[in-house]
Amino acid sequence: MENLSLGLMLMAVGMITVFAILLIVINLSKLLIVVVNKFVPEETVVKKTSTPSAAPIVIAPDTMEAIQGAVNIVTGGKGRVVKVEKI
Amino acid sequence: MEDILVKLYEMTAFSNIIAEPSFIVMYLIAFGLLYLGIKKHYEPLLLVPIAFGVLLANFPGGEMGVIQADSNGLVEVNGVMKNIWEMSLPEIAHDLGIMNFLYYMLIKTGFLPPIIFMGVGALTDFGPMLRNLRLSIFGAAAQMGIFTVLLVAIAMGFTPQEAASLGIIGGADGPTAIFTTIKLAPHLLGPIAIAAYSYMALVPVIIPLVVKLTCSKKELMINMKEQEKLYPSKTEIKNLRVLKILFPIAVTTVVAIFVPTAVSLVGMLMFGNLIKEIGSDTSRLFDAASNSIMNAATIFLGLCVGATMTSEAFLNWTTIGIVIGGFLAFALSITSGIFMVKLFNLFSKKKINPLIGATGLSAVPMASRVANDIATKYDPKNHVLNYCMSSNISGVIGSAVAAGVLISFLQ
Repeated sequence: MENLSLGLMLMAVGMITVFAILLIVINLSKLLIVVVNKFVPEETVVKKTSTPSAAPIVIAPDTMEAIQGAVNIVTGGKGRVVKVEKI
Repeated sequence: MEDILVKLYEMTAFSNIIAEPSFIVMYLIAFGLLYLGIKKHYEPLLLVPIAFGVLLANFPGGEMGVIQADSNGLVEVNGVMKNIWEMSLPEIAHDLGIMNFLYYMLIKTGFLPPIIFMGVGALTDFGPMLRNLRLSIFGAAAQMGIFTVLLVAIAMGFTPQEAASLGIIGGADGPTAIFTTIKLAPHLLGPIAIAAYSYMALVPVIIPLVVKLTCSKKELMINMKEQEKLYPSKTEIKNLRVLKILFPIAVTTVVAIFVPTAVSLVGMLMFGNLIKEIGSDTSRLFDAASNSIMNAATIFLGLCVGATMTSEAFLNWTTIGIVIGGFLAFALSITSGIFMVKLFNLFSKKKINPLIGATGLSAVPMASRVANDIATKYDPKNHVLNYCMSSNISGVIGSAVAAGVLISFLQ
């Protein structure tokens, strides 16, 4: 019986505390919103602009020669380098 | 020759297993939990280490099972009673094995649950809660299951400390349940952790069941976006980023003043969240908290909790009481959240979908996802996820505060 009354007391104190703390958190957050809205500049949303078309890549002649050489080996001289892109 | 065979037989674990067949039951439980974690994907990050811990703890002679000290801190070491708090860590490792070393260093000290809470904080976004502040109060209503089961458990003959540890399962928060149990009833740690994580994994089953029993179709079709258009909220957040940085600092301060015993959980949760919200300046801390530290903590927590489930500690009527009581606590928490919304709807023009009350228990974000699935089943355009997240996240704070109250009164 003593333990049951302790349980009832815990139920009352526990629920009141949980409600009270969350109400405080809610009102504190509302206060923070007011303060932030008043004193902090508005957040600027940076819009993602589509990336400009990449400038044509300049490939050094000796690099181009090495790539063409590698392609020749792999394809048995039949392959041809049309475009080189940076990934 | 016969002597050698007898000695060989005694050297293996067979002799003990045959003498005590309860070990076989524990292996079956471990295999069952491993199956649920691996095959059914029920909280695998925790269920797999817990299940493996159960397996390790139940090999006779392996010295991997956790030996619980009594209320005076006494444990039997080689036939001699010793006070565990007077033993050094190397002595614990030497006399009781490596698992007891880990348990008394990381778990019994209450070290790991707050560390996991830090990781949870780092992975939590308080944005939905800040955008829908008035819905956060339902996170408090859903703690009712904790205290109702506390009462029922006391009536059934559990001590208040055991009843509180059992009731906290209704908070649907694993680390909180473990933290409370370590403080109040460490001998029940294994079954309570298993019950807490099993029911959390069963959220997709339990929430729809309770909702079906308590809500009408009309209530479940309440469209939150339409209500928002009809009755727009007055508060507008101009700088959410700054607000999100200030929020954890403010909440920690307030909770620390009102419920100091909850600070180790709420404080670490908010610290984890703060280092996330600051951004690039603390990105390395955020990375550590949410990945390496969190993962290491989860491994040790799971293994140690599993290792507390030795056959003599687990196979008794108390465990069955915990399994039933845990389910009751869980279901009552969901029900009380739903009825709080129904009560609110009686007096307010701006109606709220009762699913938002159902997600007032922790289990973030699974509870919200399940609630959203239920809502879209009735109306495919009715997405309640963001609204549910508000009560869901405040439920984490609510259950930590409830744990703080229980610890401060019963420890």
